[in-house]
Amino acid sequence: MVDSCCNLRGFKLRRCAFTLLLCTSTKLTPRLSMGNLAANEGLSVFVILVWLAINAFLFVHFYMAFLVDKWFYTRVLLGQALSWARAPAACLNFNCMLILLPVCRNLLSFMRGTIQFCSRTAARQLDRNITFHKLVAYMIAFHTAVHIVAHLFNFEYFMDAQLNRNSSLLPFILSEIGNGDNASFLNPIRSNETNPTIVMFTTIAGVTGVVITLALILIITSSMEVIRRSYFEVFWYTHHLFVLFFIGLVFHGFGRIVRGQTSASLTTNDPRLCADRFEEWGRNDSDCAVPVFAGNPPMTWKWIVGPMILYVCERLVRIYRSHQKVVITKVVMHPSKTLELQMKRKGFHMEVGQYVFIQCPSVSRLEWHPFTLTSAPEEDYFSAHIRIVGDWTQALYEACGGDKTEPQEAWKLPKIAIDGPFGTASEDVFRYQVVVLVGAGIGVTPFASILKSVWYKRIQNKDVFTKKIYFYWLCPETQAFEWFADLLQSLESQMAAKSVTDFLSYNIYLTRWKEQEAAHFWVHHEEENDPITGLKQKTLYGKPNWDSEFTGIASEHPGTKVGVFLCGPPQLGKSLEKQCLTHSEADVKFIFNKENF
Amino acid sequence: MGKIEWAMWANEQALAAGLILFTGGIVGVAGLFRGWQFAAYAVAAGLFVCLLEYPRSRRAKGTGVERKWQYGLTVCVKAFGPLTRNYYARAFLHAALCIPAGFILATVLGCVCLGIASLIYLSVSQILLQYFYILFSPCRKLVETVTRKRLFHY
Repeated sequence: MVDSCCNLRGFKLRRCAFTLLLCTSTKLTPRLSMGNLAANEGLSVFVILVWLAINAFLFVHFYMAFLVDKWFYTRVLLGQALSWARAPAACLNFNCMLILLPVCRNLLSFMRGTIQFCSRTAARQLDRNITFHKLVAYMIAFHTAVHIVAHLFNFEYFMDAQLNRNSSLLPFILSEIGNGDNASFLNPIRSNETNPTIVMFTTIAGVTGVVITLALILIITSSMEVIRRSYFEVFWYTHHLFVLFFIGLVFHGFGRIVRGQTSASLTTNDPRLCADRFEEWGRNDSDCAVPVFAGNPPMTWKWIVGPMILYVCERLVRIYRSHQKVVITKVVMHPSKTLELQMKRKGFHMEVGQYVFIQCPSVSRLEWHPFTLTSAPEEDYFSAHIRIVGDWTQALYEACGGDKTEPQEAWKLPKIAIDGPFGTASEDVFRYQVVVLVGAGIGVTPFASILKSVWYKRIQNKDVFTKKIYFYWLCPETQAFEWFADLLQSLESQMAAKSVTDFLSYNIYLTRWKEQEAAHFWVHHEEENDPITGLKQKTLYGKPNWDSEFTGIASEHPGTKVGVFLCGPPQLGKSLEKQCLTHSEADVKFIFNKENF
Repeated sequence: MGKIEWAMWANEQALAAGLILFTGGIVGVAGLFRGWQFAAYAVAAGLFVCLLEYPRSRRAKGTGVERKWQYGLTVCVKAFGPLTRNYYARAFLHAALCIPAGFILATVLGCVCLGIASLIYLSVSQILLQYFYILFSPCRKLVETVTRKRLFHY
């Protein structure tokens, strides 16, 4: 359907500087942001509340667990700082267990397939996996900070106990325990001729702690939105420090540095009775023996071994998928540096609104990049439109012969691997009689698939439920129009051929423009075809007046349910939701689907 | 990865390091740890690094995204001229700042993070990139509004 470069009539497009808004290629994981999450009541909020509740419970439970007698002498040295260190440690165990799960996308896909039969709302929660991953990461960073601050105090108190060498002080007496056998000690700092920094670098817990904290900090700084969106490779490769993180985490507790009184010792030395009589410990006439201490066995590995195994399986599945044969059937170079790849794979089945991860081994063995599928399920191939914005996309473009003028031989095209498709299908679009689709800028990509699919359904089956589509495309730049305008042109001509002219009504809004461009539009305003898109439907300028649009739609379709779908920024979502609420009167109902995309 | 502007990541890392240094210093001073004077230094150094690194540079290719409220700081930082504009200078500045923080445990993490940021800046400075200042132009918006009003009557 979309198989020719669109040469916009008479208007040379100036290549503007690349704005950050559009500088992602069509690598759309479904639009997730903290704002969207807040807007989605129900299941999402419930999941988050349960997660926070478990965190709070673990924190309080483990805080209290270190207030028992077993830790009495430890608390003599450390005070409350012991509990303040152990409580976030427990939460860290829990969150590090959780953090690997949302990124096992094949596992989630499998779960989605199973859940979708019961509840589409529940299935759609799985689309928010990356948001949840980020939340858990923030929680890990927070608990790490609390844990480290508490341990700074702990180290200081341990050091104090060794430095104040006065036999009338209990902390000093406690620190002297275990000097003989080097096993029953309480204070991990064994002498006063050291300092906390040296101790940190000479204990397993200290060294692993430094390694995992540094790994965490590097992962977080390279995951900032600016870095992630502009320099995906930096983000992707640095993120693999998580391997170091998890290995360090497993060994972090092996030194058994946190020590409490053994249960045997508690029978011979009851802290409540013996703490004040520490001068008498071990004497023949005393009923207080010298206390004996031991460390807890490491627990962290029990929490994270399961998810680690699942993640290893996930990576193995991705390796398997990368060996499945994918054939590029057509490569189309669109203007404005957009590459369209049409591909086929045996057994590939997609639905509208889904996305895939694409890997090109000849470009990079390690990188998988997500792209929304722009073909319809009714077509015999699947396609993705890829914007050339970074190193990987540029290399892919060259590998597919984009920089050459003559057509490429089929066998010269690079090998491709596909993982997916992922994402909950946007089938809800087909459940409404009247549909309003709003796409902002690059957010229009999933709508390519939907529009094509709706059109195919219309011409193949006369009884398709959807009778009318209102499509709004808000674009800040003329540059991004071409391949999608081509699609709309194709639809326009096909509809004219079938004399179906009132099925699709589309409106394109140019929300930003340059002064010279504006002058050109002004001059060519009266021509039959639009100067930018070449379509018969004229491009409009500025932002749409939603109030009048919704009023118009309401008056055209009384007594129907109108579905409103958005792929764009959250502020637009809020204003559309408001419009839906205000225009939903007795006979016409606007339903804003805020979970899709 | 040639086109990647590592300086963007160095900036993020240095900002995070400044925060960590600051926090470590606060803990050291609040707890009056041994060597709390180093912690006090770290508070000042951390704050300074944060203020220096908060304004995000414009990218050499493409447009950058400002951080919120960075305009005032950009003006201050710009006043120091080549001392802050050049990446060599930043690399050495961060290296020098981080050394005293390495003496006590509370601030050693900030020291290492700032050291890493310094190393990234050093690797970037090989390409002799310069820090470009994002300064918001108040004229631009006015021109757009006037154009819109003049041409399209709203």
